[in-house]
Amino acid sequence: MFGNQQYNIINSPLEQFEVTSLLGLNAPILGYLNISLTNLALYSLLVLFIIVSLHYMANNDTKLVPSKWSIALESVFASINSMVREQLGKELYLPFIYSLFFFILIANLTGNIPYSFTITTSIMVSIGLSFTILIAVTILGLSIHKLHFFSYFVPSGTPLALVPLLVLIELVSYLARAFSLGIRLFANMVAGHTLMKILATFLYQMFSGSLIVAVLTLIPFTLFLAIMGLELAVSFIQAYVFVILTCSYIKDAIELH
Amino acid sequence: MLAAAKYLGAGLACSGLIGAGAGIGLIFSALIASTARNPQIKGQLFSYAILGFALAEATGLFSLMICFLLLYS
Repeated sequence: MFGNQQYNIINSPLEQFEVTSLLGLNAPILGYLNISLTNLALYSLLVLFIIVSLHYMANNDTKLVPSKWSIALESVFASINSMVREQLGKELYLPFIYSLFFFILIANLTGNIPYSFTITTSIMVSIGLSFTILIAVTILGLSIHKLHFFSYFVPSGTPLALVPLLVLIELVSYLARAFSLGIRLFANMVAGHTLMKILATFLYQMFSGSLIVAVLTLIPFTLFLAIMGLELAVSFIQAYVFVILTCSYIKDAIELH
Repeated sequence: MLAAAKYLGAGLACSGLIGAGAGIGLIFSALIASTARNPQIKGQLFSYAILGFALAEATGLFSLMICFLLLYS
């Protein structure tokens, strides 16, 4: 019963990240038309709906005494506002940073519901976000500094002999940001959810054994609940880290070191 | 043979978590030490520590992800 490997291979813990088509339309119009609603699209719409309804619910409606939702949302807004101010010095990029934070936070948190799909565990979403941000930041830097933007790749006070080497290193580290930003979010979410799935599989096998084993399994089950708490914290921390790194990349593009 | 190599590789990939564990421990030890020295900037230090924690944890999770990929795909 225990350690049955066949069981693990059939129900692979990576199965939960598969994008499947829920509703599809295939038609031979205009070549080959394929419109389908995948679970990724469904959960993206769900995240959008949750974010919009959260902000609608927490709307203060110019009442003098704010509701609890309103206070919570405003404190989140205040902390993001202070973060953006600290890093960039102005509030021009606040709407972008705020919506990015809420998108990633809600996407991560909805993924913690059992049997749901996390859109950030799809590499298309996380790498797509980070690539979009990096391209936008590069265009921003080029439009502000024109050709002086390339002085970013040469740190000040470099001896001339070292310039080709340093330019190469800086260029690689600049391009690696595009990957590392997205992969960090992706890896955190995938590793966390896979770990929970594996642990849950073990717990299920132990709970469905004899009664004494099932009672004793309550001890590792408390540990599992603690790991779920950690997952919730990771969801929040990853959204925060993504946003703070985006802020610092924008700052790099504006100020060039 | 291939399956055995897969499991060996997965186990070896997990050794990347040694560094992540050491790094996270260093970050929080530094947080505690610096908070004990200057408790006034606790909030600022904590946000830096969380950032460092996430960056250090991510490197460990890269290797853990490789391990999962080896095991289950």
